[in-house]
Amino acid sequence: MNGIFQFACLVAAAPLLQGLLRSLRAKLQGRPGPSPLQPYRDLGKLWSKEALVPSATSVLVIAAPGLALGVALTFAALVPPITVGGSTTAVNAVAMALLLGLSRFVLVLAALDARSGFTAMAASREMTFASLTEAPLILALLSGAVSPSPEAVSAADTPVAGVLAAGALLLVMLSETARIPVDNQETHYELTMIHEGLILEYGGWQLALLQLGAYVRQAAFFVLAARMLPGTSWLTLVYIVAFALMIPLAERIYAKMRLFEVPQLFASATVLALASIGLRIAGLGTW
Amino acid sequence: MIPFAKIVEPRRLLGCAALLSTALIALAAIVLHGTPGVAILPLIAPQQLRLDFASTTLALPFLGLIALVVPAVAVWGLRRGAPDDGLRLALFVLAMTGVLLAQSVAAFFLAWETMSLVSAFLVGTHHERRAVRRALLSYILVSQLGALCIVAGLALLAAHAGSFRFIDIAHAAAGLPLDLRSIIIALLLLGFGSKAGLVPLHFWLPLAHPVAPANASALLSGVMLNIAVYGLLLAAFGLAAPFPLAWGVWVMLVGMLTSITGALYAAIDSDFKQLLAYSSIENLGIIATVLGVAIVTAALHDRTLTELALVALLVHTVSHGVFKSLLFLAAGNVAESAHTTDIEHLGGLRRVMPLTAPLLLVGCAAAAALPPLSGFASEWLVFTTFFRTLPIAPPALAALLVVAIGNLAATSGLAALAFVKLFGIAFLGEPRTVREIALERPDVSLLGLGWLAFFCIAFGLAPSVLFRRMIDVGAALSGSTAFDPGALPTLPVLLAALPALGAVGAIVMARRRGVRTVPTWTCGSLVTPRSQYTATAFSKPLRRIFAFVLFPEHQQIRDTGASHWFPLRIRYTFSTRYVFDEVARNVAAVTQRLARRSRIVQAGLLRVYLVYAVVAVLIMLVVAR
Repeated sequence: MNGIFQFACLVAAAPLLQGLLRSLRAKLQGRPGPSPLQPYRDLGKLWSKEALVPSATSVLVIAAPGLALGVALTFAALVPPITVGGSTTAVNAVAMALLLGLSRFVLVLAALDARSGFTAMAASREMTFASLTEAPLILALLSGAVSPSPEAVSAADTPVAGVLAAGALLLVMLSETARIPVDNQETHYELTMIHEGLILEYGGWQLALLQLGAYVRQAAFFVLAARMLPGTSWLTLVYIVAFALMIPLAERIYAKMRLFEVPQLFASATVLALASIGLRIAGLGTW
Repeated sequence: MIPFAKIVEPRRLLGCAALLSTALIALAAIVLHGTPGVAILPLIAPQQLRLDFASTTLALPFLGLIALVVPAVAVWGLRRGAPDDGLRLALFVLAMTGVLLAQSVAAFFLAWETMSLVSAFLVGTHHERRAVRRALLSYILVSQLGALCIVAGLALLAAHAGSFRFIDIAHAAAGLPLDLRSIIIALLLLGFGSKAGLVPLHFWLPLAHPVAPANASALLSGVMLNIAVYGLLLAAFGLAAPFPLAWGVWVMLVGMLTSITGALYAAIDSDFKQLLAYSSIENLGIIATVLGVAIVTAALHDRTLTELALVALLVHTVSHGVFKSLLFLAAGNVAESAHTTDIEHLGGLRRVMPLTAPLLLVGCAAAAALPPLSGFASEWLVFTTFFRTLPIAPPALAALLVVAIGNLAATSGLAALAFVKLFGIAFLGEPRTVREIALERPDVSLLGLGWLAFFCIAFGLAPSVLFRRMIDVGAALSGSTAFDPGALPTLPVLLAALPALGAVGAIVMARRRGVRTVPTWTCGSLVTPRSQYTATAFSKPLRRIFAFVLFPEHQQIRDTGASHWFPLRIRYTFSTRYVFDEVARNVAAVTQRLARRSRIVQAGLLRVYLVYAVVAVLIMLVVAR
């Protein structure tokens, strides 16, 4: 029951998180920026609008937004509730990563079906980066599940490993949620967008489904990364707020990386995840 | 109803019947499991050449795979492929069944060689093409060298055991001295590993598998590779058991290298069948990695984990066999309709092949390990095996296992890229250069694809159907009965429920609210078939990122004509280097050069040969003194 309640909270608050990140970034850039509640209004507006579908496309294009939302919700449901000790379980870790692959697979197919060079270019980049983030994602999630007992333990035993895993997850999240330095949510230039480019052909209520899915996935990543760190449930909320401050700051400081430098970022994420899981196995990393 | 006999030629019916009867033989062998089996004692050298056949526990999953895949190939052949394929394929399947049932050295070698030779004939079907002859040559060379290694290994085992029956050899295996064991293991790994397409002995596979007809490719990739896996299992958990820990680590390393290499090359390939062949290498690499873990855990005396690893291995073997056969048969449909398998020329095939498309999509999604399909269930199990082995592994091995987990993750990511490209470029969008393709007619051959697609879904949604059968095998090999698949039996359904609901909901919504069809946004320019992304372009970022192993090179030739700014034609060529193939080619070249050099001893003079004979006798006398 508690789990369902927290899942509902996560889904409901996901657009708010996006709004906070956006308005915070605007403040840091010296702009007044939109209200944190803007994503709700955007979703409402998009929901009431009609959907446009590129001509001569298959049913995949129509089914993809719903499927992507379904995947995001399942992904969020697999995030363990913050009141339960433990970050992830081995069962979920792999399933979560491969599940994200499902929505990506269908969205990329929809992008290729649109026959546009823009969507296909973004699709190619999305798949390339996804194939590189798969390893750090699974390793970091599994790191949370390594323990002497088969069930998940609290991250308190090995805080250093937890910090490393959280770092790896945050780096992967930058790619998954189209953030600087991998991608830029603020830009709408077809040749540079990755995630936005992938869904370029969508509009109206279909875009609303996709956006909500993206927000939910982002919020789930925040919770996952926070769960990797030691502490009780209330501390987890503090971590989430800390991430929410950190990420706009990083987006303010850093510029977007060149496309072919991004793999280095993923390489560092992989190293972090490997180090984290290595520390966990060795039972090291206590203060 | 379709007037059946009128459409289907009698030759095709005969071939189909032959293939179906081989599937029945495999089924019968499963049913007869546990019976004493048959022995044929020839008149000369009755012990050495005795042919024993019996249905063992280890062979059951592989016989089951034959019984699953072969009917699909048989039905496919009713309408597609060359009319005479059926009988040759039936002989091939029979030989493979023979390998699985063989219980003595001579029987095994006989069946193995029959399998190799018949498959060589299948590979060489279109021998009028030069590329096919080259592929055939390297296939025959590797498979014969592999067979030599196998027969040498088996002969050493038989000499040690003093018997040519597998059951005696397996009993005597525990007493093998370490150095002899190592030699035997090396020989058997070389022999079976080359047949399984493990790096660096894989280079023949992407040449040989694509040039065979589609139904033959389906059996080569979907079944024969798994016969090599059977050989590896037979060696590791029967004839030469137990393998020392170090060999398990080596098998793991080779498997990891194989899987990532296969996945990377599959991701950059743009030929339908060659991509599938590289994907086979990838999956065999995964299987080899799990085999390594099984050997390691057996050496560490953790029977529960050995059983888990074996079950994961067998489940992945069956799952790969099923989806790879489906994909190769679908490739056959594409080749028959479009007369090419180069996906750069294809596009929009879903419109002309409305029945093949969804079936192929199921296969692609299974190959990309997406929930809720069979590939997901099996890869999940493999991940779980690695993960659960971590706590018992000594530190160095644990580090290797962690790398194996990361490697498998990267592999599945690359496989997803390869298959999204395959389906997206060839089946979606607009036709690129091959334009006139006749609309596909619903015919009986699609039932074969449907049959395989059904199992991709069934094994994905209800993986316990597959487990229950593999657990007995895993238990028999490992001596444990504590298998626990964890959360998997219900996991895929849970994962797929919401996405499926969402997809259906989005379609229903689109029906009710309506969607407006608009032109694709291209900043105002026209969408033409040639302006679509190509497979080469799709994988270009990957080629650049992995330039340190792929060595991509491209060349642009501009036919400028009158004006530099308005070229009449631009030709773009690109190439990547296949490092392992180059190594193999260099080894072959050096061997050939040495052979040419050594020809000098063949002077053709009788006196010289007499001197050789005298020297040889002298050496023998000295050695045998």
